[in-house]
Amino acid sequence: MSIVLVLLALAIGCYLVAVFEGWAVHGRFSLMRPAISALALLGREQILPRTPDRLFFETGPILLLVAGLLSVAVIPLAPGLIITDLAIGALFLNAALAYVLVALIMAGWGPNGAYAMVGGWRFLGQFIAYAMLIVMPITAVAMRAESLSTTQIVLSQAALWNVVYQPIGFVLFVIAALGVAWLPPIDLPTGGGDLAGGVEAEYTGARLAVWRLARLVIVVALSGATVTFYFGGWLGPWLPGWAWTALKTVAVAAAMLTLGRHLPRLREERYLAVSWKLGISLALANIFLVGVIALLVPI
Amino acid sequence: MSELAQYAILFGLTVGVLGLVLSLHALARVIGQSRAEPAKDVPAAAGSLSRDPVWVRYHAKYYGYALLFLAFDMEMAFMYPWAVVYREEGLVALLDMGVFLAILFLGLLYGWSQGALRRQ
Repeated sequence: MSIVLVLLALAIGCYLVAVFEGWAVHGRFSLMRPAISALALLGREQILPRTPDRLFFETGPILLLVAGLLSVAVIPLAPGLIITDLAIGALFLNAALAYVLVALIMAGWGPNGAYAMVGGWRFLGQFIAYAMLIVMPITAVAMRAESLSTTQIVLSQAALWNVVYQPIGFVLFVIAALGVAWLPPIDLPTGGGDLAGGVEAEYTGARLAVWRLARLVIVVALSGATVTFYFGGWLGPWLPGWAWTALKTVAVAAAMLTLGRHLPRLREERYLAVSWKLGISLALANIFLVGVIALLVPI
Repeated sequence: MSELAQYAILFGLTVGVLGLVLSLHALARVIGQSRAEPAKDVPAAAGSLSRDPVWVRYHAKYYGYALLFLAFDMEMAFMYPWAVVYREEGLVALLDMGVFLAILFLGLLYGWSQGALRRQ
């Protein structure tokens, strides 16, 4: 039962994120647009590039969707309202998100097109930049909660949300999350201006529909993870738990979508340099600070 | 719920995704099929086939980062179990991991000084 409810919530969340993204990109708020675009995608021609690596080409979008869905599976909406409450939930989230890289490389390699391949390799560089900044803040969160279970992590924030407890980790995690979901200003693999769609360039029809859906699922998963790790998940007054999670998730997703629209796109080289020189130093400092605070203060 | 049941659910989700994708493809097929026309299947490159082959050896200019990434990724494998028992172990855990992280961070600084942290 809870599985069906979570999947339903995910579907609604994806739709809302699609509406917001349309709003952020086109500047017009339309509740119908995502449905129309989805139908239009299904109605379009499905073209297979000339000499593709068929296996990689077909697997890319599917793997991306699997990665997104599996990471949603460990995010709690409310106590008991979670698909699988794994004891290693936070680690599982990482493991699932690692497949985003594999899916993008597959989609880049598959069609045997120059732009797609450049996008794929670029994402590999982007992965090396963001990967550490996803896992290190999560470690600091787990240190406070004394558990990797996402439910325990939410419960550990009853006294004080992690966004206040470890703000450095929060900022790093959100920036890295933009990288995972290739949202602007870190949308290197699809790079609107210079790559003609990049890894998405050769996908049409139903394959592109699956790809876009998978990307929406990943955005929802990442904002859900941000809420779980830093905004106290379902904790909040007056409203029922699931409503708080939903509200916070939508708010974080909307913030992530709007934030990057006002910044120039980062080059891969700059992104790598900033994340390794500044980001990793800050992430290690964050782990140390949280370690000291966790020993001194009982909350 | 037992661990096995949870992983069975996750496997079920994966299979479900396959089902969803197959039904979307079937739906697209019912709506209409694409017409085979010459040159429609050329990959996007201003309308012509790309001059050079695409599947070639690629100069990964970020290889310095990639090597450091391996070291840091291994380190994370130790960090997760450590993070869970951190508060139980207390100061000892902080010092143990502090020394480890300090050595690793010195490694990062050394790599930086040797120019590993730039595009080359």
